[in-house]
Amino acid sequence: MTKNSAAGTDVAVRAGARTRLDRAPLFAWLQTIGIVILVAVILATPGFLAGPSILALLTTVSFIGCVAIGMTLITISGNIMSFALGATVGVTAMVFILATNRLGFGAGLLVGVIFGSLLTGLQGLLIGSVRANPIIISIAALALIYGVTQVFSEKGTIYADQGTVPALAKGKIAGVPIEFVVFLVSAVIAQFILSATRFGRNLFMVGSSFRAAEAVGVITWRTITGAYLWAGFFTSLAGIMLAIRYDSANMDYGVAYDYDAIAAVLVGGTAIGGGGGSALRTFAGAMVIAAVQVMLLLKGLRQEWQYLAAGLIVLAVIVLQTRGSGR
Amino acid sequence: MQEVLSVWGVSKAYPGVTALEDVSFSLRRGEIRALCGENGAGKSTLVKILMGLVAPDRGSIAINGQTQVMRSPQQAQGLGLGLVAQELSLAPHLSILDNIWLGSAEVPFLHRRAKLRLRAQQALATLGLADWDLDRPVGSLTIGQRQLIEIARLLARDARVLILDEPTATLSDADIDRILGILRGLRAQGRSIIYVTHRLGEVFELCDSVTVLRNGAHVTTGPVSEITRAQLVELMLGRSFNDMYPKAAARADRGARMIVNNLRVPSAVHDFSMVAPRGCIVCIAGQIGSGANIVTRALAGLVPSATGNVMVDGRPMRLGSVPHCVGRNVLFISDDRAAEGLFPQLTVLDNLVASRLSAGARMGVLSWRELRRIGASLAQRVGVDRKRLTSQSNTLSGGNQQKLLFGRALASTQPGVLLMNEPTRGIDVGARAEIYRIMQELCDLGAALVMTSSDLDEVVGIADIVITLYRGRVVARYQGDDIAMASILSDITHITHSIRSVA
Repeated sequence: MTKNSAAGTDVAVRAGARTRLDRAPLFAWLQTIGIVILVAVILATPGFLAGPSILALLTTVSFIGCVAIGMTLITISGNIMSFALGATVGVTAMVFILATNRLGFGAGLLVGVIFGSLLTGLQGLLIGSVRANPIIISIAALALIYGVTQVFSEKGTIYADQGTVPALAKGKIAGVPIEFVVFLVSAVIAQFILSATRFGRNLFMVGSSFRAAEAVGVITWRTITGAYLWAGFFTSLAGIMLAIRYDSANMDYGVAYDYDAIAAVLVGGTAIGGGGGSALRTFAGAMVIAAVQVMLLLKGLRQEWQYLAAGLIVLAVIVLQTRGSGR
Repeated sequence: MQEVLSVWGVSKAYPGVTALEDVSFSLRRGEIRALCGENGAGKSTLVKILMGLVAPDRGSIAINGQTQVMRSPQQAQGLGLGLVAQELSLAPHLSILDNIWLGSAEVPFLHRRAKLRLRAQQALATLGLADWDLDRPVGSLTIGQRQLIEIARLLARDARVLILDEPTATLSDADIDRILGILRGLRAQGRSIIYVTHRLGEVFELCDSVTVLRNGAHVTTGPVSEITRAQLVELMLGRSFNDMYPKAAARADRGARMIVNNLRVPSAVHDFSMVAPRGCIVCIAGQIGSGANIVTRALAGLVPSATGNVMVDGRPMRLGSVPHCVGRNVLFISDDRAAEGLFPQLTVLDNLVASRLSAGARMGVLSWRELRRIGASLAQRVGVDRKRLTSQSNTLSGGNQQKLLFGRALASTQPGVLLMNEPTRGIDVGARAEIYRIMQELCDLGAALVMTSSDLDEVVGIADIVITLYRGRVVARYQGDDIAMASILSDITHITHSIRSVA
């Protein structure tokens, strides 16, 4: 019988260790460098630091940001993304205006929030209980929402009656637009749900491995439905804030919000496959995307360029993330 | 004789595991080589490297004396290598002819060529199956016959080196005899075979030589005639294996914890009954397809179609709902650790406390300090370094990952029932001993352990009660001194297999 020598073993082990270490930190570094460069370019843009554009930035980012916070929960739950959140923004805005006109501001808020939460929560129930494909469900929901609202709002835009929305709701708190305060608080609440509650832990488990979560006794359908309910809640805030700002509602309000939201989620470093991520990082991601868009606007580039920029950012993040995880 | 295949210094490391380390061997023309080793020894990695499915970190492969870099399975096939994988890869609705040429690069766009038909016919004739109808759908064949089609597929592509991964694991005795006869015929034609198997009997009956791997390293290669069965086992394990298992004598029957009556799962398990006593280990032994692992899954609530009466501590337990079963303290450790056990992106801590969140939560809000305390004590009990609590769990080795899953079972405040499928599969010897120690600890606490295992040495070594299963039916029950390798083996292979395998 021949015995094998163990020479060269060390080299193999070390080589293995190096390839193992390489990728994740590399990704983190690239991400950091990218953000630093971006911030430098943005700050160097003339007019960026002037009051009006900062305020505009803080307001715009808040609408998309709230949707992104909701999207974060869906992504962490392992259901990738929803294409119906943008439509939910529009329809919630409409429901809010209709309810406010009839029942008053406070009741309108409540109806809007409940409506948005249930609308999205219902999709979660379908996805969680029959394991329907989340993308297909969200596309179907998108079509349904547009179809139904088309029937009810022929003129396109519906307006709030005079004096129903208090001026206070359009104001500032300590010089910061109220929308941004809502966005910030939403991010903090979502982060609390994710990292400090049982439901949040269950969400990470379901997203990380659905079957393993099932095997340890997590009630998976309830967890996924919960994620969508919360997603609907945060999304409805965006719709309501838009309606308040413009005293009106239109289905176009939420167009392309899903896309910007997922871009914010990904730039924030939440894994597209689920099981990891954070709402605060999505907050940062949304800020980066919005800053890029404002910068492009200041440089006089049109809407098309903004889409292009968001597309490139998402592509870059996806490619880096895939490399980073070694797949 | 001429060397058809040589492997020099092949190494492969995965994150956290060294799968192969500096393995070298060579294979001659007309040689049948057994490839033996425990689960996790590196056999399947070696096979994947040979077939171009995995690229080695270092080392080289030569075919007929010429060094080759295997980049793809197509290239490996082109060089005359062919693999019959453990799971059959045939399309049941297609004909024998279609299956033989499925995925071949040689097939032209319009593929019903007379030449291909002729070559398929010749391949079948080589196997002594010249009378088979090429247009018959594969779905109408038995498992054993399908296995032959897999071999014919390799012959039609003119494979000179056939790699068979556990080809007899799911076959009946008559089919096994037939396959072994056919393999001898192929050897006589000058083809070489690498025969991966756990069945030591077949090594001595069929093979010319044997290569043993252990923990990814080449242990020895030599002619079968120069080695005894006991020596081979020792080489595979790295020690005589009697001292590995905790002493069963220390455990005593302390009354029934789980009673199962008439458990049924359509077309998988027929009328399974058992009593699992406190502080004892029950092994359900059976081959792939026997339904053994479905019994444990059903008892864990993971099989919706399961029916039967199950009592846990005198209270009835409903089947088909995992949360309900977990509520009764019936926990489950899957054999598919990657897909059904671990939360790969989550930290070690989160993995440990996964089923114990209620202990650290008030009104749904978690107490981080409490969870950390529970996690730290669990890590210590299962022997995972506490410094790694915040590491992502998929950076741990397979053995440590398995320990995490056992940690979840230890987390429950009251001892219950722990169901395990193949708890030590793919785990190195050191971690294995640790896991046996944890199992002993659970027994001492009064838990009832129910496990399946395809490793019969383990079954005989650790079980207090053995229930043998064949095609979903209980064959026999053994207890204490009645537990013996020979009878278990003959039960689970059903016929007179024991005569052959226990040489």
